[in-house]
Amino acid sequence: MSTEDTFKPNPPREPVPVHVVGQFSWGLTILFVLASACWVLLPYTGYLFSALVFLMAIVLAGTRWNRGPVLAMAVVSALVWNFIFIPPQFTLHIEKPQDIIMFAMFFVVALSMGHLITRLREREAALEQHHAEREQLMEAKHSAELLAESERLHRTLLDSVSHELKTPIAIIRTALDGLGQGNPYAAEIETANRRLQRIVENFLEMTRVESEALKPRPDWCEVIDVLEQARKPLERELAAHPLNVRGIADMPLVMLDSRLLAQALGNVLHNATLHAPANTPIEITVTLADGVLELRVRDHGPGFPLGSEDHLFDKFYRAPDSPAGGTGLGLAISRGLMRAMKGDIEARNHPEGGAEFTLRLPVKTRTA
Amino acid sequence: MTALIIDDEVQIRRLLRMALESKGYTVREAENGTLGLQGAVFHKPDVILLDLGLPDMDGVEVLKRLREWSQVPVLILSVRDQEAVKLAAFDAGADDYVTKPFSTAELLARLTAIQRRHGADESANLTLGGLILDPAHHEAALNGHPLKLTPTEYALLAQLVRHAGKVVTLKHLLRAVWGPQAEEQTHYLRVYANHLRKKLEGSSLEIKNEPSIGYRLVEK
Repeated sequence: MSTEDTFKPNPPREPVPVHVVGQFSWGLTILFVLASACWVLLPYTGYLFSALVFLMAIVLAGTRWNRGPVLAMAVVSALVWNFIFIPPQFTLHIEKPQDIIMFAMFFVVALSMGHLITRLREREAALEQHHAEREQLMEAKHSAELLAESERLHRTLLDSVSHELKTPIAIIRTALDGLGQGNPYAAEIETANRRLQRIVENFLEMTRVESEALKPRPDWCEVIDVLEQARKPLERELAAHPLNVRGIADMPLVMLDSRLLAQALGNVLHNATLHAPANTPIEITVTLADGVLELRVRDHGPGFPLGSEDHLFDKFYRAPDSPAGGTGLGLAISRGLMRAMKGDIEARNHPEGGAEFTLRLPVKTRTA
Repeated sequence: MTALIIDDEVQIRRLLRMALESKGYTVREAENGTLGLQGAVFHKPDVILLDLGLPDMDGVEVLKRLREWSQVPVLILSVRDQEAVKLAAFDAGADDYVTKPFSTAELLARLTAIQRRHGADESANLTLGGLILDPAHHEAALNGHPLKLTPTEYALLAQLVRHAGKVVTLKHLLRAVWGPQAEEQTHYLRVYANHLRKKLEGSSLEIKNEPSIGYRLVEK
């Protein structure tokens, strides 16, 4: 065994904090002042008086200072008392046996007072800290409860508003189904009802996105299923826009919330059908690189007016020259959904014309 | 055929009654969960249309109590479109779930589908749109030609055919095909559903994905 192995340095001690050094010097100063005062008063009071003064000083110091300086004060005051006050003066030698006993008693009393009082204070401080921590904990618990309660309330409200708005739409839809095809008036009502349904769904979804009640539930899925899910509710609108999908073959399984992504994509597709002239294709290019799934949606419409790129995803923003209808919520929802999934969405004008949206999402993959 | 509608909206009940009566159903109505459960006992309906937002109790609760003694096909008809709600309904024993607003034609098609497969004989050959499964020999044929399937593919397809037209939840499929310890392994299912889709290409059958819920085998 080498010496280096057996040699264990003392554990590093924490440096003495500055305020403790201050307490040491204050302690000595106070003792000096008190000793001088007692020295002056010695002819009138006797040497026992000075012992009581020192004890008082130690008790008072104990209520505010650390243990070290207080115990030092006890030791120093005992020595000072012995040296200056107990006859014969200016020696540590004590003549009378009762003085020796008194000195010993003073020593013990001073030390134990200093010790007890500082310990009491430390306990009090610990208790106080404990109390404060407890209070903090209670407060945190309370605010968590409040949050849960407000979330629950929010959801209940959202549920009942959603019920109240969707039920009449459902009634109109079912009644129209009963009327049958062929009536031009019924067809107009149906178009309006679909529009109303879309608006209601957008408002509800925007509320969900903003209330952060939206919790993605990722699961393994196929990108083609997501595209299908996005396309399905838009069959009517997409009838005038052939959808060309590229890059979908041999995609591995991806881990994502297919409902949220499909909805984000669906809103972008719907936006394209609104702005691109009829019978122009919409292209979706799917790529997967470095764990990021990218869906690029390009239409062959006029693109965005200059300077509107920055506002496209703002709530209620509607680009100049937008066709009638629409709430300006679709793209804001898309962005909210993408961000809820830790992804994002961007827009630009394609160099060869048309608008291009890019939806990006970090995903885990698994080869099928 | 008797259908029981449990819904608190009188207009929905009236419209559904008209649509169902035109298809030959005898229609009974109930405006809350308690009356609905009583109606289910009293009228012995062949199918139940159940709303989730009932005034006296939640629809899922009605379904749970109903399932304690009855296996009657139940179609949920609700405005709630969150996956969690749908899953809870399927777990409680719903046979299908249609969100309001709905298309009447689709609703009627789904009602027919959940009744057709109800109480099908498990040992007999399973047939659907040109597909024949022989459970005794684990063999399959499509449009008269033998269909080569691995045992896992066969098991999965058999589950889907047995519940044809209905949503079969991911959990149910995983448990039935891979065993209870595989309930969370949804990627197995994605892979095999994909294989089956390829093998069924060109036939009249389609495996439809119900996002986050399960799969449904339908005839085109």
